Amino acid sequence: MTAPLLEVRDLTVRFALPRPRPFGPRPYLEAVRSVSFTLAKGRALGIVGESGSGKTTTAMSAIRLAPAASGQVLMNGTDLLALDEDAMRRQRKDIGLIFQDPYSSLNPRARVADIVREPLDLMNIGTPATRMDRVRTLFTRVGLREDQLNLFPHQFSGGQRQRISIARALTTNPQLLVCDEPVSALDVAIQAQILNLLGHLKTELGLSYLFISHDLGVVRHVCDDVAVMYLGKIVESAPVERLFTQPQHPYTQALLSAAPSLKRRKSQGYARAMQITGDPPSPINPPQGCAFAGRCPKAQSRCRSERPEMKVAGDHKIACHFPA
Amino acid sequence: MTALLDISDLHVTFNTRHGRVTALDSVSLHVNAGETLGVVGESGCGKSITALSVMGLIPAPPGKIAGGSIKLNGEELTTASPARLRALRGAEAAMIFQEPMTSLNPVFTVGEQIAEAIMLHQKASHDQAFKQAIALLDRVGIPSPDTRARDYPHQLSGGMRQRVMIAMAVSCRPKLLIADEPTTALDVTVQAQIFDLLNEIQRDFGAAIILITHDMGAIAEMADRVAVMYAGRVIESARADDVLDHPQHPYAHGLIDCIPNVGKGDTSLKEIPGVVPPLHLLGDGCAFAARCAHADARCTREKPVLTDHGHHPVACHAIEEARL
Amino acid sequence: MTNQPMTETYIAQSPSREAWRMFRRNLPAVFGLGLLIAIIVITLYGAFLYQGDPFDIVWAPHEPPGVTPEFPLGTDYLGRDIVAGLLMGGGPTLAVGAVAALITMVIGISLGALSGYYGGWVDNLLMRITEFFQVLPALLFAMVLVTLFSPSLWTIAIAIGVVSWPQTARLTRAEFLKIKELEYVTAARAIGARNRRIIWKVILPNAAPPLIVSATLTIGVAILFEAGLSFLGLGDPNVMSWGLMIGANRDYILDAWWPVTFPGLAIFLTVFAVSLVGDGLNDAFNPKLRER
Repeated sequence: MTAPLLEVRDLTVRFALPRPRPFGPRPYLEAVRSVSFTLAKGRALGIVGESGSGKTTTAMSAIRLAPAASGQVLMNGTDLLALDEDAMRRQRKDIGLIFQDPYSSLNPRARVADIVREPLDLMNIGTPATRMDRVRTLFTRVGLREDQLNLFPHQFSGGQRQRISIARALTTNPQLLVCDEPVSALDVAIQAQILNLLGHLKTELGLSYLFISHDLGVVRHVCDDVAVMYLGKIVESAPVERLFTQPQHPYTQALLSAAPSLKRRKSQGYARAMQITGDPPSPINPPQGCAFAGRCPKAQSRCRSERPEMKVAGDHKIACHFPA
Repeated sequence: MTALLDISDLHVTFNTRHGRVTALDSVSLHVNAGETLGVVGESGCGKSITALSVMGLIPAPPGKIAGGSIKLNGEELTTASPARLRALRGAEAAMIFQEPMTSLNPVFTVGEQIAEAIMLHQKASHDQAFKQAIALLDRVGIPSPDTRARDYPHQLSGGMRQRVMIAMAVSCRPKLLIADEPTTALDVTVQAQIFDLLNEIQRDFGAAIILITHDMGAIAEMADRVAVMYAGRVIESARADDVLDHPQHPYAHGLIDCIPNVGKGDTSLKEIPGVVPPLHLLGDGCAFAARCAHADARCTREKPVLTDHGHHPVACHAIEEARL
Repeated sequence: MTNQPMTETYIAQSPSREAWRMFRRNLPAVFGLGLLIAIIVITLYGAFLYQGDPFDIVWAPHEPPGVTPEFPLGTDYLGRDIVAGLLMGGGPTLAVGAVAALITMVIGISLGALSGYYGGWVDNLLMRITEFFQVLPALLFAMVLVTLFSPSLWTIAIAIGVVSWPQTARLTRAEFLKIKELEYVTAARAIGARNRRIIWKVILPNAAPPLIVSATLTIGVAILFEAGLSFLGLGDPNVMSWGLMIGANRDYILDAWWPVTFPGLAIFLTVFAVSLVGDGLNDAFNPKLRER
């Protein structure tokens, strides 16, 4: 395994809630609770989870687009959370970001060439002429045409806009690409186009991905390692093949059996390997023991009273009292 | 055996700033009592318009049913009076929408809203209707239904709200249930619960379901038969297993091959190049020709018609000429 | 892969151009714009057309309109030419409106933008100040300001601006609150843009449509405000304006209707034109109406 590009240690993110009474103590919601993971150079780490699991917040606070309460984020050894504003701004040229919604992630009043060029302007890289060359190169690389450079975002389809977003993220030659649900707003046929593009770019440019998704199929396709989050904590992480073939945490197993599969047919009277009920508990008042205990078919009294520690077995980590 | 719902040669047009466009072009479908028909395609292919036409909910103007017939239980709906359509909606055919938050009225409790739906179509006192509402909430798997009935929509999770929508939809025991992307806004584990619930409801109430989706995985789990739509036309129609195992039309093929599957981690996905053409730019030929690897001159000239060429009905010249 | 005509247009459709295209199709708005341009041109060239001072007494007082050909709209209580007053008074009236609207916009947009973007204590402080100005009775407060600092066109414009910015501040704040959550703003931060750039170059252009509409309507309100102040005798007595004409002649309204009616009509037409343009802009910027 190569040296880590990004190492997140005990990252915690809190959101302030309104005070229940004036001058009373302010309650906090812990959206991310002491999350640690490592992303090696040239690899893709998928963070999967359902809405409210804190996966997006984890990624956003790791690259300081949301404030973290505590923890460390080491990128090539430098703690991003300890940098001052200006140093962080300079650091941003090494980090690209792709969003979920291709309709709101591009400034509607800017021409797409300017959108893709802006990172170079802000970082003061190159001359105006070389910047435009870079924009043209990127445009063709992500599968757009040069005659579209002067158009405005609304003149593109969702898939094309996501390509523009990718081009913008790549402009400054970053080492890390944070992808926040990059295909979940797209039609299936377009999803495949974008996923393949991301796959090619990764090998070609030696990029590392922090890949946020709720879609296990997408994660399996793109990622090398996967971390599963539930209510602000990582409950299981492993290399992708291992996680999909030998899931240990009941929640991972439930996620896998809930994902629609072409193999489960109504005509054959399908049965899910594992069925769970209900919704995740509220992060405002997290359960005392294991957060998943309330929905877990295997939960015992110990699960409700005692929070499971992360157990490490090689590159497979599980936080469960009774893994299988 | 006559079908419960029989749509034949349905044409729907919309007036837009590009002139009149054909949103549904000679669509024929049927649904038998108690079965699930999956309607699948990318956004803009006409699947939601089909559902809205059945419910008599096409916004007119700008929309208009320009030809063809929709027969529910032998009764013609395209010429039915608005009063008759209102009576049928809810009682004979009910609809479940994609976004349960905006389809429920935020200022009434969910119990009231279900009771209201019951009283619209049945002679029942308010108390009786409310009791029925509680029973229905229990039936759709909402825990402690008598207290939940007094909750407002915003107090429920997305999954719970969708259960409420289902309870409301089945409150008058309709023979036909139209579910338009019912789980798109939900998490996978909740989606699985909703799918299981819909299948149960179908068993218990004997309702036929039209499931509108872009997800072939959902088709596999839910549908008995499938209609694949593209650019306002049905391009393939058969038993679900036949379409999933032996897709004929290149587009149906593509839709199945481009899904990143949980069960396998390929290095590259099959893509369908390009995008769905906008309706006002549809020419005389096959709408898929521009994206199709097997298209020839005839495909750009002449629209293929849904015909059985040995396996099951498909609208494709290449298959007719056995070039595929 | 393409054997059908491909579907895209390669002509850039900038949002402003789209809005202009919509505006042009809106008949009342185009009419309003035409009327407004006509009023501006007439009042600008009025000075050249009409040599002479509108304060000069040129004829007998209260000459009714249409009697003497040199003074087609008659004269006022001192025997001053009403046409001269209308032509020469238009410029100052419009100028007061425009300057007042400009002041309103500068204060309102700056405070609203900072408030909405930074939130927290900045927002709390600025919004309390805004509320303070909002609860003051605007006309009375403007009267106090004008009396304190001797009535000149500048003080009047400033007074109107100072009392009318809170609404703009609230509108701007609301737009900023909405837009700052959008992903393209996060995207700007992610590529290292500073707050200043995000506020003025990213969010403000996107918040502009409702602000432009509001600025347009503010011009109309400011013109009415100026007329009101002048009517109460607080106008600049040394500069002819439509409001001053009404104010000076109001005591004789029962003897002679024309010295107040014609400037009143001029104000009405101007504000009407401005409102039509404002409504037209509002529709033009509304993307929901665009597909029709």
